[in-house]
Amino acid sequence: MMRKLILFAAWLLCILFLPGRLFAQDRTITGKITDQNAIPLANVSVFIAKTNIGTITDGEGKFSLSVPPNTTLLVSSAGYKTQTIKVDNTVGDIQVKLLEDVSKLEEVVVTGLATSVKRRNLANSIATISSKELQGTAPAQTFDAALNGKIPGAYINANTGAPGGGLSVKLRGVTSIFGNTQPLYVVDGVFMDNTATSAGLNAVTGAATGGNSSTQDNPSSRIADLRSEDIENIEILKGASAAAIYGSKAAAGVIIITTKRGKQGKTRVSFSQDLGYSQVRKLLGTRPLSESIVQGQGWDVEEYKAAVAAGKIYNYEKEMYGNTGFTRNSVLSMTGGTDKTSFYFSAATKKEEGIIARTGYGNNSFRLNVDHRITNNIKIGISTNYINSSSDRGLTGNDNSGVTYGIALSSTPSFTELHPDVNGQYPRNKYAASNPIETRDKMTNNENVNRFVTGLNLDAILQKGGKSTTRFIARGGFDFYNLVTTALFPSSLQFQTVNKGTSIQGFTKNMNTNYILSLVNAYTPSDKLSLTTSAGITQETGDYNNLLNVATQVIAGQSNVDQAGALTASQFRTKVQDNGIFMQEEASIIDAITLTAGVRFDKSTNNGDPNQYYTYPKAGISWNLTKMDFWKGSFFENFKVRAAYGQAGNFPAYGSKFTSMPISNITGLPGSVVSTQQGEKNIKPETQTELEAGFDFSIFKGRLSMEFSYYNKNVYDFLMLNTLPSSSGFTNQWVNAGDLRNEGIEIGLNAQPVVTKKIRWNTTVNFWFNRSKVTKLTIPPVQLGSFGVALGTFQIEQGKSATQIIGLTDEPGYTVPIKVWGDQEPRFQMNSFNEITFNNRLSLRFLVHWKYKGDNINLTNLLNDLGGTSADFDSDNNKNGVPDGVDRIHKIGSTATEFIQNSGYLRFREIGMYYSFNRLPGKLVKALRLGVSLNNYITITNYAGYDPEVSNFGTGFSTGVDVDPFPASKHAAFHISVDF
Amino acid sequence: MKKLININFLFLLILAVSFASCKKEYGNLNSPTVEDYLDNASIDQLNNLVSGTESAMRNNLGLYLDDIGVLGREMYRFSGADPRYVTDLLGGGNSTLSNSGFYITNVWSSRYRVVKNCNVLEEAAANSTYISEAEKKGYSGFAKTIKAYQLLLVLNLTSKNGIRVDVADPKNLGPILNETDALTAIATLLDEANTELASAQVDFPLSDGFEGFKDAAGLAKFNRALAARVAVYRKQWSAALSALEGSFYSLDGDFNTGVYDVFGTGSGDQLNSAFFPQNQAGEVRLAHPSYATEIEASDDRIGKASMRTAPTSSSGLTSDRDVWVYTSSTAPVPIIRNEELILIYAEANIQLGGAGLNNAVSALNKIRTKHNLGVYSGAVTQSDLVTEMLKQRRYSLFFEGHRWIDMRRYDLLSTLPIDRPEDDIWSEFPIPNTEQ
Repeated sequence: MMRKLILFAAWLLCILFLPGRLFAQDRTITGKITDQNAIPLANVSVFIAKTNIGTITDGEGKFSLSVPPNTTLLVSSAGYKTQTIKVDNTVGDIQVKLLEDVSKLEEVVVTGLATSVKRRNLANSIATISSKELQGTAPAQTFDAALNGKIPGAYINANTGAPGGGLSVKLRGVTSIFGNTQPLYVVDGVFMDNTATSAGLNAVTGAATGGNSSTQDNPSSRIADLRSEDIENIEILKGASAAAIYGSKAAAGVIIITTKRGKQGKTRVSFSQDLGYSQVRKLLGTRPLSESIVQGQGWDVEEYKAAVAAGKIYNYEKEMYGNTGFTRNSVLSMTGGTDKTSFYFSAATKKEEGIIARTGYGNNSFRLNVDHRITNNIKIGISTNYINSSSDRGLTGNDNSGVTYGIALSSTPSFTELHPDVNGQYPRNKYAASNPIETRDKMTNNENVNRFVTGLNLDAILQKGGKSTTRFIARGGFDFYNLVTTALFPSSLQFQTVNKGTSIQGFTKNMNTNYILSLVNAYTPSDKLSLTTSAGITQETGDYNNLLNVATQVIAGQSNVDQAGALTASQFRTKVQDNGIFMQEEASIIDAITLTAGVRFDKSTNNGDPNQYYTYPKAGISWNLTKMDFWKGSFFENFKVRAAYGQAGNFPAYGSKFTSMPISNITGLPGSVVSTQQGEKNIKPETQTELEAGFDFSIFKGRLSMEFSYYNKNVYDFLMLNTLPSSSGFTNQWVNAGDLRNEGIEIGLNAQPVVTKKIRWNTTVNFWFNRSKVTKLTIPPVQLGSFGVALGTFQIEQGKSATQIIGLTDEPGYTVPIKVWGDQEPRFQMNSFNEITFNNRLSLRFLVHWKYKGDNINLTNLLNDLGGTSADFDSDNNKNGVPDGVDRIHKIGSTATEFIQNSGYLRFREIGMYYSFNRLPGKLVKALRLGVSLNNYITITNYAGYDPEVSNFGTGFSTGVDVDPFPASKHAAFHISVDF
Repeated sequence: MKKLININFLFLLILAVSFASCKKEYGNLNSPTVEDYLDNASIDQLNNLVSGTESAMRNNLGLYLDDIGVLGREMYRFSGADPRYVTDLLGGGNSTLSNSGFYITNVWSSRYRVVKNCNVLEEAAANSTYISEAEKKGYSGFAKTIKAYQLLLVLNLTSKNGIRVDVADPKNLGPILNETDALTAIATLLDEANTELASAQVDFPLSDGFEGFKDAAGLAKFNRALAARVAVYRKQWSAALSALEGSFYSLDGDFNTGVYDVFGTGSGDQLNSAFFPQNQAGEVRLAHPSYATEIEASDDRIGKASMRTAPTSSSGLTSDRDVWVYTSSTAPVPIIRNEELILIYAEANIQLGGAGLNNAVSALNKIRTKHNLGVYSGAVTQSDLVTEMLKQRRYSLFFEGHRWIDMRRYDLLSTLPIDRPEDDIWSEFPIPNTEQ
């Protein structure tokens, strides 16, 4: 090993000091690439084998390339099987027909930090999402929303319907309870930050002052900034067995995103425009009133009578959430290149209005990806992306001051007047702490991000011989963003009588950097054996700085924080540096057996001991039986068995090792007070081990293929905020509290049931489920993630599912009247993506997603019951003569049965129909595509809240708590795209 | 070739060194840590702990006052966002007080957090080499006094369920003491602090809540006032009177002389969470209707329950008066003040009986006349005077956190009004579930 390394280093030096050797290029060949039906294929790569030299086909499927004598060409395109063409003395055009790769066996999948392997030989089940699947059907508002329903093995949940999104992505179950539960996103080698930064609304809502200390501000996830139009391909490493090489950041999985890149050939310009609208998916309705109901509620009967007489009974829910938002999205992209340099450029702008007036989302982005060949041996790729995104998110969700729209509406009857009078004066709402119509019209809650992401990829061939090739690969970059949150509450608002105007301004600066330096040697001693050895070092740093100013007593019409009578500032910083060393060996024997082994050593400044290295090994084997002599000519086109094992980690949260002393002042005197969180000096990372095994096969010449995987994922020493007896002065402390296990099965099916000249139907069906269990807990059971047993809460308890929901019960037979009412984990999920193409012109695509069972804690209806406004308050389904609303209120404190609700659904997430015009008059326009799409339009569910996808506490462990969220929306759009 | 290998070796060496050199520890970037304070704290650092202690005393203070006010039927607390003020706290329907309810856990942890800060202050002062012995006694006397006060507030809630007093070592907490032992421990703590303050030097800055009591002598007076309250809770009537002597008790003095929690709008400061504007909707504190119906005519203390423009209702409870004790977001909340001390003087004298009864009558008359009432005309008997004393405490100390405790001390909780048939009157809060 050492000898090899020295050798690599020698070659590295040589390359730095010697000019690159040049190939003799003496002949130009031309050709045409088509599919089975002789339809020309554009953008197909034609490369000289074992080099970086190549080109792509144009719109008519044609290419031309200079080649040395006796060359082998590799012809490849995503979704088609790669072909190898020997070019000896061929004269004239080369005609190549590519076969569709329904089973995706030819797809190249990244398996190391610098190496990749074809799916055919992969030891893991790695999900991939192509650009078409990602956003080619019915584009979602944000990149993360576009992932929803598309990853087998994932539980993805939209936290809120607020513009700008906020998604929670859990791969193969709960991998951490208090640690990071979200996967690592790597875009062209750059680790993207996905920190959710709160806008400090708690200063107004007081949500954290009640039963739960989370601010419940529901910020958007920062990964939403990314443009899905720029993405070529996504790979999802769901667990440690695949992701171990990412070490301590990989416990929650890794999502590897590759953006589009330029290719040699004529410059191509394309422009696409979407126009559409968004509407609320569902309203809960309002309570029909009568005098006796008004009387019974203790509301003002005279006011009610007067309102009826004047015909002024309103539907405030519809007024609030019933806005039809206009949406538009324009993308201009350009690609092209010469034999040395190629580029991809895109400029895009998007604006979407929300279903609540004065909410919306905007995103403007520029991307420039440039690839350049310095010499035949050295290739450099640069990706740059500037993003500006802005979202106006309104004021929704839980609060303790009665100021969010939902909470205020929950106690506001339909007869009271909330609209402004002729002078623009809004009446005070007698029935709630705020007039939600006034709040909506006057307040601002904006997140604005300016983000710059740059990645660099250097690939140098250090040595090339007949049997061995050694490359030096350096990959890295930075992700910098500046996030400004602005929350303004003018003094005229009903709830601003104390603070007399509040301006909350947050400034966040975040800088992440990372690099990977590696040496990769491919050694092929014979046809039957090839070895790929890689080794290298990595470093990741993060530097986050958040400054939050809360100004009150703000001068009328002003928002600057100095234009105020009182100002409270707070600052929060985190800084982390992780270092790693990795080595990986992959062996391929007779192209049938692939063996992989690797190890990564990681240390982090977040650990109790920042200098201790933690070890994360992995190993995998796959055996393609159809490559063996004894299987040749069998029924199976391909049959592979595989198994993989790996470890990954999850660092403790920043600051968990300190007992800090936050500021607490009094009348100008600076004070320090002991934090309620006790530090744990010996905190260590969570470790995860995953064993995955499965088999894949394809039959009928690849027209039907199936993948079956089983995994068993154990998380050891998971991090918990242990609740301490608060008489100690501390309420909690980070501890490595126990172990938990996730087990599951994933079955995937790709098929082409119909393929004729006129109709082609491609379908993908996935089925998956996960079961978790807390196998060890060294601390007493911990309730978390909601509002206690009376209303239903999660509880981490040994021997139980990690996502069980418990609550009070009035059923007999319980010594402690608490039982398990449900589980957030769905029993199973299924999805199906279909594309039916008629005459190669008209294409119908749809994605359907079925989540079977899984429970939410729904408190929205409770709040409406308590406020006397729920639509079904006066129905009497149990025929006991008492209104159901009253029945439900009476159950509070004795049983939580009402609040734990099945949140299963069957959802047609995306439906799209597109028509392509290929032969167009004139030479200017080369292709034209028209389409219509529906996003989230059809949902079948019994769930009683606005939407089964909801999470009051945002991204993290406890998804599915429903407290007056921003209701979910559905989108319809018209699309046009033109290629020039 | 040999040379080349040497160069390569060098290359690897650089690689190795670059690793070794990135040993890093960032420390805590956001605030000091406890360890920073315990390691020979400077005077400024000790003073930060004093101010932090004072500041943290206000955490969840509004909730504490709500707890005692609602349970003692002084007031209703309506909240659009949390039904438990009208369910659990009033025992509405089948609801009971929960040992995980925010109304006990939040207050409990906030008070013990101050206790922790006092313990850190004591330890930091003891470890510091920058201050004299007399100064150490000053910090320690202050810390112990505040600690005793905070423990008393917790005990007020949990009463016969007791509290934990020895909490210095988080890994090895002392037992939960019963009410009697806890009160004894609190009294002992106050006495220790008083002894230390007697020979202490106090130079540390205190907020204006301590106006007039910012030196060692002043802190001792504050300490004795608290000791007098603890003494009456322990029914040690003579001890109460002697504690009053060391305090700022003054029969003819300003009722409002005393020590307060104060509020401010400065950065990192807090507003008075017990303040709500009048006539607010949604989040309201309403005076219990009996406050106005049972008050004597012409009593100026009716001003503490101001008339609303319209009554407001929730869950079958209605009132037309706002609680109007703290009239701005920076209005101070008394920790202890002279009006209470006069009433303690009256109470101790009533209980001692004999000539004391007349002392009590003159003290009660001070209260009555200053509040625009005629002198006491009832019978000068122990039981009638107790009734009168409790009535004056009810109106003088309205929404200052006393009524429920007073009724419990005299075993009169059952006489409090029940507004809805299924309501309950609780005599104590459960110990938080995290303590078990």
